[in-house]
Amino acid sequence: MDKLKIGIYWAAACGGCDCSLLEVNEQILDVAAGADILLWPCATDAKYDDLRGYSDRELDIVLFNGAIRTEENRDMAQLIRAKTKRLVAYGACAHTGGVIGLANLSTRAEIFTTVFGAEKEWPQALSNQAGHQLHLPAFLDHLTPLSDVVDVDYVIPGCPPPRKIVSEFFSALLAGDLPEPGAVFAAEKNLCDECEREREHTQITHILRVHEASPDPEKCLLDQGFLCMGPATRGGCGAVCPNANMPCTGCAGAPADVSDQGTAMLNTLASLVGTGAEGEDQIEGENAILEQIDDVIGTFYRYAAAKSLFGRRYREQHGQTN
Amino acid sequence: MNEKSGFEPKIVAFLCKWTTYAAADLCGVSRMPYPPNISIIRVNCTGEITADMILSAFEDGVDGILIGGCRPGHCRYEDSNLKGSNRVYLLKRALKEFGLNPERIREVGIAGAQGLIFQRAVEKFTADIRALGPSPVTDHA
Ligand code: SF4
Ligand code: SF4
Ligand code: FES
Repeated sequence: MDKLKIGIYWAAACGGCDCSLLEVNEQILDVAAGADILLWPCATDAKYDDLRGYSDRELDIVLFNGAIRTEENRDMAQLIRAKTKRLVAYGACAHTGGVIGLANLSTRAEIFTTVFGAEKEWPQALSNQAGHQLHLPAFLDHLTPLSDVVDVDYVIPGCPPPRKIVSEFFSALLAGDLPEPGAVFAAEKNLCDECEREREHTQITHILRVHEASPDPEKCLLDQGFLCMGPATRGGCGAVCPNANMPCTGCAGAPADVSDQGTAMLNTLASLVGTGAEGEDQIEGENAILEQIDDVIGTFYRYAAAKSLFGRRYREQHGQTN
Repeated sequence: MNEKSGFEPKIVAFLCKWTTYAAADLCGVSRMPYPPNISIIRVNCTGEITADMILSAFEDGVDGILIGGCRPGHCRYEDSNLKGSNRVYLLKRALKEFGLNPERIREVGIAGAQGLIFQRAVEKFTADIRALGPSPVTDHA
């Protein structure tokens, strides 16, 4: 059989997803034996022009990590989509916008002001530098997941995707045994379904952050007041974080039957808090517990703010999006 | 403010069938008019209203959401309305961070016999939303 032609690309990413590919250890040698890597900016020096030179759908599959933040990210997503038969959203940023999707809580102008200061200091897409014209990719108004700009065939979720899932994916790829497009390389159900901690469904009487107390290693973290995103997060990772005594932060996105991860968790948590009080006192007591959550969006939408039902910052006073 | 004066807000009211919906009904049969801006959705209990339902309503272009149910401690389904209130509390905090004024959601507890109070609550909420202007989400398809 001919060797597979594959590509790996990063858009608005941190580099963690590229590293995670190597976590499969010696299996990477099988990948190298079974596939030619035609594009991998992190590790090879193939140029964009090389990619442009391939015929349409010439590559078999491309793993795309990172979100769409700049014009370059978007244009490359479109070019790659044209050159590959199958496209994989690899990691939380490509899948749901990721941690950097939280930037959608600020407008482009706010971000530039924070980073570059006064408007005259902002980088321009087109400028003249020492007699040469410099073209920088424009910074888009909002960050989006990959699937907002091109069709995606598979999702490998996680931040970064866990070794077990990456390894299963490579095995399937090399065996010519990939599932039908649309598949997500993870469980259908939520993380609680595979987590072995004991769940008692007790009332949550206070919210704890991990630096404030050591969790009991046997009991459900949420029962103990640690905000574990397990109920609203897709399983499949093997519950690595709860097993390490850390609450799930939600990197795999929503389970198959849930449309919005943040609201799903918010609905769940709202029902779990309780003080034992009733009537008017009850509502005050429960709101006081919920008030202990410092960062509502950063907790419920840590990876999926850009994919949430809203997904971006609105501006009341102008009556329009910004 | 001028440009807002011609603005007629679209308001969705989720009303518990045991109390506030009955109050709305009473307004109807007693011919007590209230602003036509509200579309009423009858629910079994305000505890049924999820954060997704509220967000979807905003996505569909609603400018304000009124939630009317039993008073605390009087819900037919134990403390279900309070769990609903907890959701609204958290959602309002989330909406604020997304740049939406949390005042666009209001909760009221109005008993079935309080038609007049319902009428006033709708008038007040409509006026308040009119003053806020159109929802910034409206132009986001
Ligand atoms: S998904 Fe996580 S590891 Fe991958 S690029 Fe985004 S932030 Fe980095
Ligand atoms: S909430 Fe977290 S700790 Fe509890 S069962 Fe679910 S995944 Fe495990
Ligand atoms: S039954 Fe009326 S709010 Fe629950």
